[in-house]
Amino acid sequence: MKLYTYSIIDSSKQITEPIYGLEGACVYNIPYCDIGAVVSEFTESVQSKTEDGVLAHEEVIERLMESFAVLPVRFHTVFDGRDGILSMMRSYYKDFRNNLDRLRNKVEFGIKVIWPSDKIKEHLINTYKKDNEKVSIPDDSSNKRFIKKKFEEYRIDEEFEKKANKFIKVMDMFFSKFAAEKKLKKLKTENLLLDGVYLVERGKQDDFKEAFEHIKGPHTGAGFKFLFSGPWPPYNFVILPKKSDLLEDSEQKDLFDKVIQHQDLVGADKI
Amino acid sequence: MTLNSVVETDFPEEFVEEMEKSNDALPRKIDANPKNVEKGLAKLVLTLIELIRKLLEKQAMRRVEAGSLSDEQIENVGETLMKLENKMEELKGIFGLKDEELNLNLGPLGDLM
Repeated sequence: MKLYTYSIIDSSKQITEPIYGLEGACVYNIPYCDIGAVVSEFTESVQSKTEDGVLAHEEVIERLMESFAVLPVRFHTVFDGRDGILSMMRSYYKDFRNNLDRLRNKVEFGIKVIWPSDKIKEHLINTYKKDNEKVSIPDDSSNKRFIKKKFEEYRIDEEFEKKANKFIKVMDMFFSKFAAEKKLKKLKTENLLLDGVYLVERGKQDDFKEAFEHIKGPHTGAGFKFLFSGPWPPYNFVILPKKSDLLEDSEQKDLFDKVIQHQDLVGADKI
Repeated sequence: MTLNSVVETDFPEEFVEEMEKSNDALPRKIDANPKNVEKGLAKLVLTLIELIRKLLEKQAMRRVEAGSLSDEQIENVGETLMKLENKMEELKGIFGLKDEELNLNLGPLGDLM
């Protein structure tokens, strides 16, 4: 029997109210010590990698969050029977417990910002050209002209990055006031200035939203575009050590890797 | 208490486009299978060469900025970097690879370039 897994929760008791998951299957808790893994039974023939499947997965976790601290499990994580789940829970109980304590009563918000990169670059090029007299690179051969062109690109890229850091720093200053943790990615593409996730205590959600509106207002007129999403279960803040190399059982390695695969955002300390 | 999650933006299509662009550029795995193993390996090798080429270029620019290169050295460095860039373009053309494909997602460490 395959078990589709939604979340690890901080309770070993059965879920009292009925919750239905993928394909309308009934959701239940498999206890281990004082925590549990919330699952539904799953047949391999069921094709649930659909938009409806994603929404059903999310809905189950949101329902669980009403009553428990949760560690959301990556969409479409399927374990091979009860023994498979219990084996994984036994190995990572301490890590799960620590995460549950850390993430209790906290939710995740996503913030994405597109900036007018073309205009900013154009402005930087014009500024560079005005100041160009300061840089004296001879251009009496094609090799030297190549270096001159590369140097211009290098300086403009540096200034572009400095500008991005400056904008992100200002925005993050407002958001961080109300966030417990954050993970930010700068310039994933030239236009996508910021792709960030913030972990916020439930009691500070409104303050966080207000900070967003405060930032959004004055920047929108300057060509910035914003996307705000949440509150979500804390998908990006489950921190598990990569222990899979220490595991001898290859099947268990696979299971563990499934659980931690969603940790793919890097920290903000580079900015 | 339910979460009542929302996604708020006036520009959904632009955000989808940017996210797709960033995902396309950063595969989590090298796509190597019996049908395209040559291209998969070429992509991995060229990504590493591109990383080294960019590091060399950056180092050279820092030296230009510091004014520590003589006229003759600028000439030599220019020639070397230009040849490297041309050779990379040629190799990318042979294997049908674009600039944005030459990158790797290193998981928690971030992107290679």
